Amino acid sequence: MSDAPAPSGAIGAYVPLLDGPEKVTGAAKYTADFLAPDALCGRILRSPSSHAEIVKLDVAAARRLPGVKAVVTGADCATPFGVLPIAMNEFPLARERVRYRGEPLAAVAALDEATAVRALGLIELELKALPAYYTADEARAPEATDLHAERPGNIERDVVYELGQVERGFAKAALVREASYRCAEVYQVQTETHAALADYDALRDRLAVHCTTQVPFYVHLMLARCLAMDKARIRVIKPHIGGGFGARTETLNVELICALLARAAGGKVRLVTSREETFITHRGRPEQAVTLKIGMAKDGRVLAVDCETVQRGGAYSGYGIVTILYAGSLLNAIYAIDNVRYHGTRVLTNTPPCGAMRGHGTVNVRFAFEALLDTMAAELGLDPFAVRRANLLRAPTRTANDLLVNSYGLPECLDRVEQASGWQARKRKLGQGRGLGMACSHYVSGASKPVHWTGEPHATVNLKLDFDGSIVLLTGAPEIGQGSSTVLAQIAAEVLGVALARIRVVAGDSELTPKDNGAYSSRVTVMVGNATVAAAENLKRRLAAAAARALDCAPEDIEIEGETFRASSQDQGLDFDEVVTAALKEAGTITVSGNYSTPPEAQGGKAYRGATVGSTVAFSYAAQVVEVSVDEETGQVTVEKVWVAHDCGKALNRLAVEGQVQGSVWMGMGQALSEETGYFQGLPLAANMLDYRVPTIAESPPIEVQIVESNDPLGPFGAKEAGEGSLAGFLPALANAVVDAIGLRVTELPLTPDRVLRALDRQRRAREREAARAARQKT
Amino acid sequence: MELLPPFELLRPTTVEQALAWRLENPNSRLLGGGTDLIVNLRRGIGEAPQALIDLNQIDEMTVIAGDGAALRIGASVKLAALAAHPLVRAHYPGLAQAAASVAAATQRNMATVGGNLCLDTRCIFYNQSEWWRASNDYCLKYGGSKCHVAPKSKVCYATFSGDLAPALLVLEGEVEIIGRGGRRTAPLAELYSRDGRDYLSLAREEFVCSVTARAAPGLRAAYDKIRVRRAIEFPLAGVAVALARDGDKLGALRVAVTGTNPWPVLLEETAALCGGGVDEALLQRFDALLKAQLMAMKTTFTSGHYRRRAATVLARRLVRRLFDGGYMGETR
Repeated sequence: MSDAPAPSGAIGAYVPLLDGPEKVTGAAKYTADFLAPDALCGRILRSPSSHAEIVKLDVAAARRLPGVKAVVTGADCATPFGVLPIAMNEFPLARERVRYRGEPLAAVAALDEATAVRALGLIELELKALPAYYTADEARAPEATDLHAERPGNIERDVVYELGQVERGFAKAALVREASYRCAEVYQVQTETHAALADYDALRDRLAVHCTTQVPFYVHLMLARCLAMDKARIRVIKPHIGGGFGARTETLNVELICALLARAAGGKVRLVTSREETFITHRGRPEQAVTLKIGMAKDGRVLAVDCETVQRGGAYSGYGIVTILYAGSLLNAIYAIDNVRYHGTRVLTNTPPCGAMRGHGTVNVRFAFEALLDTMAAELGLDPFAVRRANLLRAPTRTANDLLVNSYGLPECLDRVEQASGWQARKRKLGQGRGLGMACSHYVSGASKPVHWTGEPHATVNLKLDFDGSIVLLTGAPEIGQGSSTVLAQIAAEVLGVALARIRVVAGDSELTPKDNGAYSSRVTVMVGNATVAAAENLKRRLAAAAARALDCAPEDIEIEGETFRASSQDQGLDFDEVVTAALKEAGTITVSGNYSTPPEAQGGKAYRGATVGSTVAFSYAAQVVEVSVDEETGQVTVEKVWVAHDCGKALNRLAVEGQVQGSVWMGMGQALSEETGYFQGLPLAANMLDYRVPTIAESPPIEVQIVESNDPLGPFGAKEAGEGSLAGFLPALANAVVDAIGLRVTELPLTPDRVLRALDRQRRAREREAARAARQKT
Repeated sequence: MELLPPFELLRPTTVEQALAWRLENPNSRLLGGGTDLIVNLRRGIGEAPQALIDLNQIDEMTVIAGDGAALRIGASVKLAALAAHPLVRAHYPGLAQAAASVAAATQRNMATVGGNLCLDTRCIFYNQSEWWRASNDYCLKYGGSKCHVAPKSKVCYATFSGDLAPALLVLEGEVEIIGRGGRRTAPLAELYSRDGRDYLSLAREEFVCSVTARAAPGLRAAYDKIRVRRAIEFPLAGVAVALARDGDKLGALRVAVTGTNPWPVLLEETAALCGGGVDEALLQRFDALLKAQLMAMKTTFTSGHYRRRAATVLARRLVRRLFDGGYMGETR
C-alpha cells in the first residue's frame, strides 16, 4: 500500500483514498493481473438445463486430450458449502442434479485457453429433465417437485410474526390502505468479473488462493471444508478488488473450483470468468412482490402495518434466510411503529441464486412502504414530509422488535433536504411532466453476532511499530474500493496523534493479517474502526509509558502533542523517533492488538425467531428528494437532480462519505430506472453490460449530498455507516416524483419507458371506465 | 471475455487488392471498426473466419467529399469523423446527428460508415454466448432451425439497428459496391434484403466502398432515436425524416426507421401525405402508415409493441419540428 500525500489525515477532513494513485495509474493489481507464467488456464462447463438429473458425465476423453492437466467434477467434492451453517446445500460442482442454467458441472485446467475450451467440448453429458420453475408462484404450487429434499414445497424460509396488536391498530386508524408492489431482480455489476488464482504446493500440501472476495475469512473456511484440508495449510490473499456490493459476501463456486483444479493438477490454476459467468454466479437482489397494508391516524401516525412479501431466491440457499428476515426486521428502526405483522416467504426456484446486495433485505420493502406512505398522505391531505415527521422515533430507544437506536439524525435529514430542494415552494408547482418526490431509508452499521462465530472478538486489528517509526496497521478487513483501509488509517493516526503518512495498511492476507469477518453489513468502519481505536490506544499507552521512563516521570503525567511527548509543558520533550527508540528498548518491535465486539445490548433479537437479524450497533438514516421529468408520449423518465442527506453519525472522511452516498443513490437509481436481469426459460436475457442497463454518466444527475452528524455513542468518534443507507430511499422517491409529475403511481420497478407507457395506458382505461360508470349513474 | 478464434489479418491498400483477397478467401470477414464483429466472434457467432480483411488502409474509402448538394462518404470513414465534419454538420445535420448518436465515444472513434450500414441484424436469441445459444438449440439466424421470436416462422426477424441507414435513406442514399464486375451503384434501400438472416443483398465477394447522399435545396432533415439509456445502446427505434415545405403545405416527405424490422424501413406511400398542411388529421394518417409498415417483434429486451409506438411518436415529433423549422436535435 502506498502512502500517497494527503492534505490532512484528520478525522472529518476530505482525505483522498490512500490507494487512489495506483488505481488511477493502472499499477494496482487485481486478481486477473497476477499472470503467473506457469499457471494453467481454468474453464468451467456449465449446465445447459434448468433442472435435471445428471445421468452421465464422462470426462475421460477430456482428460486424454494433450495439454489437459486436470478435470474435476462433482465427484471431486462431496461436501456442500454455504454462508449460513444452517443452509449449506450448494456444491462447488453439481452432484446428481443441476438446478439452474449455468450451474457448474465440471472444470478443466489446461496449458492454454484453447485447449481448455476444446476439452470442455469433449465432456459427454447426459441429463434427464425435471420440471423447472422460474417464478416463486410456480415453485410454490402444490404439485411442484422439490429442488432440495430438505426444503419441502421449495420454501427456503417462511417467517411469520406479529409485534403489538395489529388488528387494534387498524381498527383505530382513520385510513387503511393496501397495495401491491413488484421489484425486478437486479445484479450488482461490480467492475471486476470473478476470478481466482490458486497455487497448490503438492510437496508441502499447501494452498494459496488469490480471489475476488469481500470475505476472505469465509473463503478460507470453505476452502478448508470443501477440500478437506487443515485450515493451517491454506492462505487466502485479497488483492485489489473491483467492487463487490454484496455479490462477494459469501464464498463463490469460482474460488472453490479453482482450488480443486489446482490441487488436482498439482500446481497453479488461473480462473477468470466472463461477464456472463459473473452474472450467472449472481447473488443479486431477488425479484420480490410486496403486499403492504398500513393503518394511519388522521395526523399521519402509522398505527399498524401488515406486510406480506415473497422473494424468488434462486436455486440454492445462500443468504436467503437472512434476506427474508431483514425484509421484516427493517420495517422497524426508522419510524415509531408498535404494531407490525410480517409474513415473508423465501422461495427456491430454478434461477441463479440470489444474495446480499447493497441494502440487503430492506430495499424492496422500503420502496413499498414509502410509496404507500405518500399515497395515504395525499388522501389525508398531508405533506409527504409531515407524514414522516409524524412518525419519528426518539433516541435513545428500543424498537418493538428489540433493536437498539442510540442516535437518530432523521429529523435533521428531513429538514436539510426539504430546504435544499426548495420543497415547499416547488412541490406540485413544476408543471405537467416535472415533479418532486421524497422518501427516507436507513441501514445497519455492522451485524450482531457473526455467522461461523466461535467465541472470539468480532473484530481484531494489529498495529506494528518498528525501529523506523512506521506503523503498520494489519487488518483482515477487505478494502474493496469502499475506502476502508483509508478510514482505518485515519482512525489510528487520529488516536495516536501522528501524521497519516506514518501509517501503512496491510489488508486481507491470512498469512499476515488478523482474521476479519469481511466487508458486509456495513460493518467495517464501526466494528473494525472500534477495534482500531482500541489498538491505537494500546499503542499510545505503550509509548506514553516508554516516554515516562525516558523522562523519568509517571505515565499519567506525560503530555502528548502531535508526535511530541513531554513530561510537563515546560519540558522540551521527545520527538517521535526518540519515543520509538525508548519504547523498543523494552522488548524490540512492538505489536499491539485491539478488539471489538458488538455490545450485548446491541445484539437484540428476542422478539421473535430470527430477530437478531437487523440488530446492530447503530442505524444510519437518510432522506432524499428526487426531481424528475417524464415524457408521457415515450414513457421516458429523466432524473434531473437529487438532494440527499445522510446521517452517518460522524463523517470520518467527508470525501469518502460523499462518494459512498452518491454511489448508493446512483445504484438505487439504476434499480429504479432501468436495471433488471430477466430470464428466458432460465437463460439470462441480459447477462452483459449492453442489455443489463446500468445507468451511464448521461443518465446521472447532480447528486447533492448533505452530511448529518448525530454522533452515535457506540461508533468510533461517533461514526455510523455511510455506504448503504441512502440506496433504498431513491426508489420510492423516484416513484413519488413521477406521481407529482404526471399523476401516475407506478408500482412495478424498474420504471423503463415501456412499463411507464403500460401503466399510463392502464390508468387511462381505468379513468375511461370510471367516467363511463359515472355517466351511467347520472342517467 | 471469450477467446477470439485464430484468423489471418489482411490489410489491403486498394479496393482491387481487397477484392482479390476476398475472392481468394471465401471464408473471410470484412473488418471496419470491429466494434460489432469482434464482439460476435468472441461469442462464437458465425463460422470462425480464416481471414479478416481490414478495409481501413484503403485511401479512397476514408474520404468525405462533396458540397451542399451531394456528398460522398467512404465506407471506412469513422463515425466520429463523420459526426464532426463541417460540411456534414452544415448541410446534412440529420446524418451528423445519426453518426453522433451511435453507441458511445469509444465505439464512434473506431466504428466505420460501412460497418454501420452493413451492421449484422440483432436478436436477443442471437447476440448471446455460444453456451447460451447451444443451451437454447441455437436459432434460425445461425446454427438452428427454430425462430424463438416466432416459432412457426420460416424467416428470421432479427432486427436491423444501424443508425446511419435511415439518415441516408431519406437523403436518397446510394451505395457504391465493389464486386467481380468492378464497381456498381445501387439505391441504399436495395442493399437490404427482407430476411434477418441473410440481411444484405450482396454477392459473397461484394463489399460497400462508399455511400452518397443528396440534399435538395429547402430540404430539412433530422434523425432521432429512443433507447433506455442515452448512450451505448442500440436504438429501440430510430427515425430519420426529410421534408420540404411548399408554402404552408408539405411539399415532400421521406421517412426511414431503424430498430424495428430486419431492414431499415424507407416508409412507402408518404407522397400521399404531401400537398396539405401538417395537422392532427395528417399525423393520424402518418401513424397508420407507420403502424402498417413497422414490425413489432420481441427481438430485444424491450417489447416490440413499445418500439413501434416509440417510432411513431418520434416520427410525428420530427415531422412537426422540421415543418415548423424548429430545433432539430435529439428529443432528450
